[in-house]
Amino acid sequence: MMMASMVANGNRDGRQGEALVLKGVDPETCMIVFKNHWAQVVKILEKHDPLRSNTSSNMAALGVIGLSSGGPMRFGGPIPGDEASAVQNYVEHILFLLMEEDAGQAGAMGPILEFVVMENVMERLFLWSLRRQFTDDMKLEQLKMYEMIVGQARQPLLHHKPVLRPLMMLLSSCSGTAGPEVEAELVSLLNQLCCVLAKDQSVLELFFHTSEDQGAANFLIFSLLIPFIHREGLVGQQARDALLLIMSLSAENQRVAQHIAENTYFCPVLATGLSGLYSSLPTKLEVPGEEWHCLHREDWLQMPTLVQFLNSLEFCNAVIQVAHPNIRDQLVSYIYNGFLVPVLAPALHKPTLEEVMTTTAYLDLFVRSVSEPVLLQTFLSFILLHPHRHTLPGNVHILDTLVSRIDTPFQLGTVSLALFQTLIGLYCEDVMLQLILRYLIPCNHMMLSQRRVVKERDFYSVSAAKILALTPSCCSPEHSPPPLRQLDSILWSKGTDNSPNTGTMETEETFLEEDGSCYSCVIGSEIYLDVNYLHYLYNARLGISSCTRACQVWSAPYDGEDPPPEEGRQAQTTTDPAPTNQLELEWDDSYDAGPVVSLEAATAESSRPPQLPAAEPPKHIQEMRRTAIMLVKGSYIEESDFQDDVMVYDLVAKKDARDTVTKGSKEVKAHVADHNSNLQSPSAEVGDDLMGQYEELIRTLGSDEAGTGGSSPVKTVDKEFRNPVVTPMEEDEVDFSSFSMDTPELEKPHSSLFGTKLRSGSTRSHSVPFTGPFVSVLLSRLENMLDNSLHVNLLLTGILAQLAAYPQPLLQSFLLNTNMVFQPSVRSLYQVLASLKNQIEQQASTKKDFPKLITSAQHCLLARENSRECSPLEAGRMMKSSPPPQPKTISLARTEVFATVLFTEFLKELAAIAQEHSILSHVPMEE
Amino acid sequence: MNLNPFWSMSTNTGRKVRERSSSSALKANFCQVHPTHKRAERQKNRIFKSSQRDPHTLKRSDSEEQSGEQQQQRASPARPSFGKKQLPSIPKNAVPITKPASPAATAQLANGTHASYGPFYLEYSLLAEFTLVIKQKLPGIYVQPSYKSALMWFGVIFIRHGLYQDGVFKFTVYIPDNYPDGECPRVVFDIPVFHPLVDPVSGELDVRRAFTKWRRNHNHIWQVLMYARTVFYKINTMEPLNPEAAVLYDKDVQLFKSKVIDSVKLCNSHLFDQPKMDDPYAISFSSWNPAIHDEAKERMFTHKRRPEDHHKGLQVSGLSWVKPGSTQPFSKDDNPPLS
Repeated sequence: MMMASMVANGNRDGRQGEALVLKGVDPETCMIVFKNHWAQVVKILEKHDPLRSNTSSNMAALGVIGLSSGGPMRFGGPIPGDEASAVQNYVEHILFLLMEEDAGQAGAMGPILEFVVMENVMERLFLWSLRRQFTDDMKLEQLKMYEMIVGQARQPLLHHKPVLRPLMMLLSSCSGTAGPEVEAELVSLLNQLCCVLAKDQSVLELFFHTSEDQGAANFLIFSLLIPFIHREGLVGQQARDALLLIMSLSAENQRVAQHIAENTYFCPVLATGLSGLYSSLPTKLEVPGEEWHCLHREDWLQMPTLVQFLNSLEFCNAVIQVAHPNIRDQLVSYIYNGFLVPVLAPALHKPTLEEVMTTTAYLDLFVRSVSEPVLLQTFLSFILLHPHRHTLPGNVHILDTLVSRIDTPFQLGTVSLALFQTLIGLYCEDVMLQLILRYLIPCNHMMLSQRRVVKERDFYSVSAAKILALTPSCCSPEHSPPPLRQLDSILWSKGTDNSPNTGTMETEETFLEEDGSCYSCVIGSEIYLDVNYLHYLYNARLGISSCTRACQVWSAPYDGEDPPPEEGRQAQTTTDPAPTNQLELEWDDSYDAGPVVSLEAATAESSRPPQLPAAEPPKHIQEMRRTAIMLVKGSYIEESDFQDDVMVYDLVAKKDARDTVTKGSKEVKAHVADHNSNLQSPSAEVGDDLMGQYEELIRTLGSDEAGTGGSSPVKTVDKEFRNPVVTPMEEDEVDFSSFSMDTPELEKPHSSLFGTKLRSGSTRSHSVPFTGPFVSVLLSRLENMLDNSLHVNLLLTGILAQLAAYPQPLLQSFLLNTNMVFQPSVRSLYQVLASLKNQIEQQASTKKDFPKLITSAQHCLLARENSRECSPLEAGRMMKSSPPPQPKTISLARTEVFATVLFTEFLKELAAIAQEHSILSHVPMEE
Repeated sequence: MNLNPFWSMSTNTGRKVRERSSSSALKANFCQVHPTHKRAERQKNRIFKSSQRDPHTLKRSDSEEQSGEQQQQRASPARPSFGKKQLPSIPKNAVPITKPASPAATAQLANGTHASYGPFYLEYSLLAEFTLVIKQKLPGIYVQPSYKSALMWFGVIFIRHGLYQDGVFKFTVYIPDNYPDGECPRVVFDIPVFHPLVDPVSGELDVRRAFTKWRRNHNHIWQVLMYARTVFYKINTMEPLNPEAAVLYDKDVQLFKSKVIDSVKLCNSHLFDQPKMDDPYAISFSSWNPAIHDEAKERMFTHKRRPEDHHKGLQVSGLSWVKPGSTQPFSKDDNPPLS
């Protein structure tokens, strides 16, 4: 032993701090000092030890008995302060000596440690602290003591039961009732122990065994940490860090993994904790402004409850990242079944717009916060496939509900758009499959002859040219006023302009002559180049490259051949686990549970007297009418959809309810049926006709209300809602409960019309080409671009550009290939853009000051860009103060003006994407 | 006292939430008034951007043949942006032109678009053509668009057998600026090779006979290059540009052969000459210089290996749980059970 310590002595160089004090001190001397101090401690200990006789035999064996003699015994009495502090003093020295001792040869214990083990020093010290009143201070002292020696000892201490056992006793005695200080210290020590475990797994066995000795739950240090999982602040942080260490340990150690998965409540605590934390989140967000659409960092940092939730979510993410697959799977399953399904799903179907909007914003934030694929998958499969039980027959998938909400006015629509922006940005095949691709796989949307075009490459930027040709004349580059000129003049080399006809040697000579001026080729006529288009090209390149790279993990190229179109059709009809390929529009009566105040309606209400002039229809009818018009007109619906479009029935039903004329419905029905058989005919006429009919219906609905309801319009409507006439329709999947307001708050507008909901059904015939509800809804909102607010349009065009950057030929050809011939009933992005151009040209021709307004809007947007973080409003304000002479500022309410500017930019964006596709998608990925 | 070696593992230290990139980012570019400093960096990436281009042309070089010859293609003068091409830079003193474009320039192009975008379409058409050339992997042919104009490509062709064996002919491809609606691109050899179809004065190859009418979507520049190669293996004497060569081939093959050998020698003796055009991307040959070429050679070989290594290290950001052959989401077998 002596030899060993002498050898070890040689390695003491380079120690710092207090170690220096001991440097050069003979280990023998250390031992003597140690024993000496211990003897003093033992003297005091034994003085108060009721079982002194038991331990004295031990002492005798070590020849220190003489030291323990003398002094009166004071059993049970309080221990005097001076004795306590004397012990404390000695102990500090003892522990210091222990810490500073080096391990013996070949990992043997150093002499002091050996003595500690033999003498059971640690246990006796623990018992001593128990004997005194075991106060929090006492616990704190003991915990700190262990933290120090575990952290700083130069030889492994925890391998020795006489050290480990009292530690475990201490730990278990600290669990539960301790005060915050003790908790903090406890977690800190546990954290440290986990670090030791992570470094030296051989201790692990001992931890298990020691726990068994105690009869406590196995793996005590783990169990002790669980209560702190969701704690906020440093304690929670340390606990989670420590748990993560154990999690990564579990990845390699089956026993740990099994224990955690089978014998602890770790996963349930974690998952249900999320539910608990979620319930403390505000159910309605106070939205800063109309343009707000998602929770940014600045937003959630100011919400402590949300920060705490995100901490726990992030912890789950980290656990899933490092833990054993058993634990991972269990946790994921608990999160799905313990948080997403029972908590988030109902929250997404809350009765008011604000609540639903808030939940959607949370969901978006959560999806953005999660990075681990398995956890992301859990969230995504919840969104894509979870059927939410509903009052209606059949299931509605969360995704369907979310898609339908894009089309709701007000902020819910915007927030939903933002969520989809996040989802599309994941480059996830499953998401894209459910949203769009599965509708494109069968290639029903195009003419049969066009299938080969899907993979064709646009060699000469024909599509880009066609898209850019839609630039409204008022925005064409040639018309931009000088100060805002988006163009720089670039002299374009026409290098071979004169060469083909003349001798080539001559050509070369001319080149050589001109080359003196450092590559600034100046041949041929000047052409204005739209420099900002370069930026779009550059961005397109970045976007497409990263998307292409990401999609390398996808299972298929989606090029019209793989997956084969036939399979797509089969999948749609048969084994679809999410049988939502056939979708109908239907009122989302999920709002019926309670009255809803829409932002607009609310403000309208506050600004107007409650009594309405008799001439005007009741407000909620106005509201409904507006919404309905918007829905019918706005939501672009392929004609064939109309046949089972519940909206038609609803409108008809309302008309019937009032007029009690069943004829009307029959007419419409007949018309629909007629239309049905007319599927092949050119659609425009029929569509217009139908549209006219709807508008007529809506108009009469409104005006009739006004007529009959002069005295008490509200009552009439109420009655109407309460007693819906059951229409003689067989296919009554229609839920008329949306018309019955059981607890009507008449002052508030009825808003069951706000949400249309896509419901899985089976009535749609499979052969009808349909590009899916998502595309449908996006295009319908895009079509309203001129009426949309700026931020809605930014989101919309952003999402469409995101989609267009995907390299899959099916998607690319559908969105960007202007040469493609689609089925007449299928509407393409290009068609919508073309109709927008026409609308814009019309506006421009009727308004004299349109060009001026365009310039103002460009200035405003530029200022907005220059202060990216600012809202457009702020940007507008900034412009007022900025020195350069500005044209008059323009109100954001001039949506058509802003939309025109944005439309022009969007065309460039799309054209740039199309051009880059023509190159990038055909070069093997390298770089 | 931070003893935790796994500290970095804990994600609590720094939160990483995917912040939504402002959707306005793109649109925001709109009407940039002072984009000059940004422009430079963007342009750098804009045209003929793919950095693989040069390695590509080099990679395809046939080692067996090249190793025998003590020559190496030198890609271009040393430039930081290896293989990138830029738009012609704007003269520094250029006064911004604010006057509206002349009616002629404003007029719509043939394909009915704004003139301002015409150059973009042209350039991307040529880029597409170039990527197609790369894809074809034409044997013994290397081309490189010039730095100054996308309409001019430099090339070199190695003849591996036949009458013109060992010939190394440099040429330039001129593409009409109304591509693809104009005539077919022209191929002009730096030194007029003795060949019935090559003009003995200008060095131009008679390409038009093979592409009497240039049809967009059907004809591509790689076909022209392929044709330029074929003429050296299959000699055609009909309507020759070099009647002497044609007559000799038909009447006195031996003399023709010896003239060809002389021509090949002549061409090869000028191989190390400075490129005819002063363009950074002009193809120039130099004798083997270990200081320059060893490194390039090594890079070529590592480049070949890289894809797999690359793939491993690359964090793939995309996600898929779709089983190959299925069109159902989350159909992969290794999905953890959720319920």
